[in-house]
Amino acid sequence: MSERYVRHPDLRLADVEGDGVVLHLGSRRYFSVSESGLALLQALEAPRTLPELVDVLLERYEVTPEQAEASVRQFLETCRTADLLVPEAGG
Amino acid sequence: MQCDDPALRTALAAWLDGLRLAAPSGLALDVAVTDGDLESLPKAVFEQPDVRFGPGPDGRGIRLTWDHAPAVADVPAAASVAMVRLSPDAVRHLERCTRTFLMAVVIVLLRRVGWYHLHAATAIDPSGQGWLVTGNAHVGKSTTAALLAASGWQVGTDDAAFLESAQDRIVVHTCHAPIALRDGGRRLLARAGGVVLPNRGKVGFWPEDLGGVWTPLVSPDIVIFPTVGKARTTAEPMARKDALTELVRWSAWVMLEPDLAQDHLDVLTRLTAQARCFRVSLGRDLFTRPNRLIELVS
Repeated sequence: MSERYVRHPDLRLADVEGDGVVLHLGSRRYFSVSESGLALLQALEAPRTLPELVDVLLERYEVTPEQAEASVRQFLETCRTADLLVPEAGG
Repeated sequence: MQCDDPALRTALAAWLDGLRLAAPSGLALDVAVTDGDLESLPKAVFEQPDVRFGPGPDGRGIRLTWDHAPAVADVPAAASVAMVRLSPDAVRHLERCTRTFLMAVVIVLLRRVGWYHLHAATAIDPSGQGWLVTGNAHVGKSTTAALLAASGWQVGTDDAAFLESAQDRIVVHTCHAPIALRDGGRRLLARAGGVVLPNRGKVGFWPEDLGGVWTPLVSPDIVIFPTVGKARTTAEPMARKDALTELVRWSAWVMLEPDLAQDHLDVLTRLTAQARCFRVSLGRDLFTRPNRLIELVS
């Protein structure tokens, strides 16, 4: 079964003309994210598998599946490092 | 405002009346004086000068404690009443207590009705445009507010602004409080007089004393993030995303309560859509041509 990812419940998102600003209430940090990063974080409000996240990018951008998967993997790694993801509840 | 001590009730009512803050009805401070042990917060999650903030007793809401003398306030989540307990020592320092501790309680309480605090000066220029001058201490907010008041602008506050979503606009409410100038600001403005503000090392000027008019409400068209520069004032337009991260920085309460954070963030985001935002380096040329600010953003 594919691993599923979900964003940290302490995150709050703002959409500013496509780009994003993210608050992490737990760490009281805030930062900006790209349009694609915001799209992925919005999708991660509910648990998502890697293929589902790849589909988010494929629906929005003219990229190959390989490029989209590489982008998602890199994004997830960045999110893990920054404590933006939590284990799926009950998973 | 509820308080069993008649003298304290009168003093606090006078303080609240003096703020002239047009807050929605139904909010209240319930103040008691106690000799009992007023425990400090075991772990603050947020601090500002003199005041610490932590989770309330039920794990939600906010508990505030004062560093200067024993005082505790609880503002439960979704509550319209703040429960305040002051030690006799806190009452003896009532001016400082109202200015720092009780003002912080009011700020937390107002969040319950969608009024979100921002460190900003507010003004309306002669053409009717609303301005926010946003940032921390030492960036020139108060000196700019005083200069604009002296130039005939309407001025609301030099520091404490409250954002509210009002139908299709974000509006900003302010308290009626003197513009607090340090010696450097007074020298730049060549202003004598004013009222010495106790314990602050500043002198206060009412906008009316400077030739301006106090305004309790501003609908912002322009937001500036100033720094103190050199000779010439400059303004650089900002991307909305950059303006929003700056607003988050100066409206730090957005991080404090998870239940209110998204609404607070949405208000800040809408402000960046409503107003044009600029980084401004404040130069000495403003003191001879204050309306250069208008030219720079037009």
